[in-house]
Amino acid sequence: MTVSVERGIQTLKEHIDAPVASFFTTCVHCGMCADACLFYTETKDPKYTPIYKLKPMRRLWHQEYTFWGKLAAKLGLSKPVTAAELKEWEELVYDSCTMCGRCSMTCPVGNDIVYMIRKMREGMVAAGFAPEGLKAATKRAITIGSPMGVKLPALKNQIKHIETDTGLTIPVDVNGAEYMALLSSMEIMNFPEYIGAIAKIFHSAGISWTLASDAFEATNSGIQIGSSDLAAELVARVVAAAERLKVAYVISPECGHAYMALRWEGPNLIGRPFSFKVIHILELLDQLRAQNRLPVTGKIKEKLTLHDPCQIVRRGGVVDEPRRLLDMVAADFEEMEDHGVMNWCCGGGGGVSANERASKLKLTAFNRKRHQLEALGVNTLITACANCRITLEEGLEFNNMDVVVLGLAETLAEHLEQQTSSSATTATQ
Amino acid sequence: MVKPASLAEHLECHQVSRRGFLKFCALTTSMMALSPSMMPAVARALEKARRPSVIWLSFQECTGCTESLTRSHSPTIENLILNYLSLDYHHTLQAASGDAAERAREAAMSENYGQYILAVDGSIPVKDGGVYSTIAGVSNLEMLQHTVAGAAAVVAIGSCAAFGGLPHAHPNPTGAVPVQELVHDKPVVNVSGCPPIPVVISGVLAHYLTFGRIPDLDSYGRPLSFFGASIHDRCYRRPYYNKGLFAETFDDEGAKNGWCLFKLGCKGPTTYNACATAKWNQGTSFPIQSGHGCIGCSEPHFWDAGGFYQPLSAGIGSVGTLAGMAVVAGAAAGTAAGRLHQAKRKQAQRQHEKVTVADLEETDS
Repeated sequence: MTVSVERGIQTLKEHIDAPVASFFTTCVHCGMCADACLFYTETKDPKYTPIYKLKPMRRLWHQEYTFWGKLAAKLGLSKPVTAAELKEWEELVYDSCTMCGRCSMTCPVGNDIVYMIRKMREGMVAAGFAPEGLKAATKRAITIGSPMGVKLPALKNQIKHIETDTGLTIPVDVNGAEYMALLSSMEIMNFPEYIGAIAKIFHSAGISWTLASDAFEATNSGIQIGSSDLAAELVARVVAAAERLKVAYVISPECGHAYMALRWEGPNLIGRPFSFKVIHILELLDQLRAQNRLPVTGKIKEKLTLHDPCQIVRRGGVVDEPRRLLDMVAADFEEMEDHGVMNWCCGGGGGVSANERASKLKLTAFNRKRHQLEALGVNTLITACANCRITLEEGLEFNNMDVVVLGLAETLAEHLEQQTSSSATTATQ
Repeated sequence: MVKPASLAEHLECHQVSRRGFLKFCALTTSMMALSPSMMPAVARALEKARRPSVIWLSFQECTGCTESLTRSHSPTIENLILNYLSLDYHHTLQAASGDAAERAREAAMSENYGQYILAVDGSIPVKDGGVYSTIAGVSNLEMLQHTVAGAAAVVAIGSCAAFGGLPHAHPNPTGAVPVQELVHDKPVVNVSGCPPIPVVISGVLAHYLTFGRIPDLDSYGRPLSFFGASIHDRCYRRPYYNKGLFAETFDDEGAKNGWCLFKLGCKGPTTYNACATAKWNQGTSFPIQSGHGCIGCSEPHFWDAGGFYQPLSAGIGSVGTLAGMAVVAGAAAGTAAGRLHQAKRKQAQRQHEKVTVADLEETDS
């Protein structure tokens, strides 16, 4: 079994479903999606118009599933999709799309363009046209368990440091805990503060939680590269661990697509409902806030703004939670012009940050965020996605901008009221 | 009286709330078919917009277009936008008459030369040197040519100005022609309709105020955002047409049930306008909703396009049966094709080869 154009086309045929057919039929060629895409707005290159990125798939739909298309193909008036064409489109489908979904929001006839990009990637993987960087990351995710190759000893090492720093125990493999937390490799390696932050907050709120030694990784490279088969395998690992530990909730970390992969795509990928609920860390923190279980003191005085991670906000619906949480610790919070569900992507989502070939384009696309930040004149930027954070830091450094990027959970943990009574401590036991 | 400095202040003077203003901006943005994210930009531009000078010339017309604009039940924002324009010359609305009126036009022209918007309603007679319609002893043709020279853009309001209208209908005794046949060196926007919808006029003016240029036009020079879809395509009775349910007379069961008026001569399928969406009398209704077919008043030469009650397809047999048969045949073909496609997709799914890590090996040659 090897990848081939035929296999790719066969895969596309199986993924062209009723929504895709209706989207292609109703597209009015208005081009409004171009202005919604940061790869177009920052380059003004019309090939980055979102709907154009689907051209081979559109032609295939036309040839296979429409009367006139079939006729034209028979008469030789419309040429078949070729390897060269898919190769050419690889850059459009992977390098210049972060699957941020902003195009789907502006389409006047309601076509979900990003839904189709996701499907187009299925065909690209089967045809063998996925970026090397993303292939390697996915391979590591499947064989090692983490796209960055992080193994359990590395996590244990970080846990040891955090336990020393915080004086708290980081629970691992606790049977019957209420919440099972997931982490992204990026957090383990680059932002371990996150683990300490949730440990502190959960301890203070008296939440019983655990990590799973065999499924601590939240990121799902299968989703990014666009293979349901591989994505399902990664989801199944989390499901197995959650069911083994009999937890009621699985917490998606400050990572955008991990949330989307587990919460929205997850049950469909494994073909059955979960026995637990998936909750984003921001949703949980907001619940704690509402129950007065998240006491904070002091406010950040300098002006700051919030970068909305696309998959959490636009594709995930967690819009008000981060704002309510931020309100507790920020004295001078100002929104960017386009924010919430119409935010602009950092430029590194959807597998772009794992794809070295795309790094130059990614930095060009970052100009959108740069302009947004410059317009506000802030020096502090809060976000809730480790991948956004690393992309933002890279872009800021490249542009010599003096802006600090912080995770929302760790910002809250820093302002957490110090424990005075022992009531919370006993509750964790 | 001190003239208000900007539109926002002007609206405030007339006790139009900020909310009302933003609603108008949102409506205008959507009517102009702009991206929703443009709404704040439209609001900002309109807020800051300065009073543009408008000279309104009325030629061979019935004043219906002016009536359409001014006869609203309550002061609408469209209306205020119109008031807000510095309407420096308008036969029907101005207080001045005689020489004073003509002097006002001359003054407005010289003060705003090259800047003002020229609005025209009515067609222009050109036969016999244009003697069939004169104002203050000047023929319409001469007045148009004189006034258009200093205009930034021309808005032809109503079907007479846009396409010739009633004066142009056979046998056209005065040799009436529309504005676009006489003006070639200035942008001309045709806002057709007999009369045109007020919000279309205000929409065109709002577009000009916002972007400083005229909107995109269709092949008849009409703003695409308002004239892009046919009445038929946007008609709420369209489902009856699709099902082959037609009113045969104005008092039969079909008419009472609100079925399609196609057989009673409705020109909706060949007429492009925003009536079915923008509606009339502040969104109350439009002709088809009150039981009468569209007469196609925003299309060129509609007076000469046959009887108002003659079906578009007159002479090709029984529409009901034919349409019914076509619908059945179409549905059958569609279902068959759908089944076929579903089978093809299912087959592709059966042949699915699971993607494994091995498939991620380097393949690029």
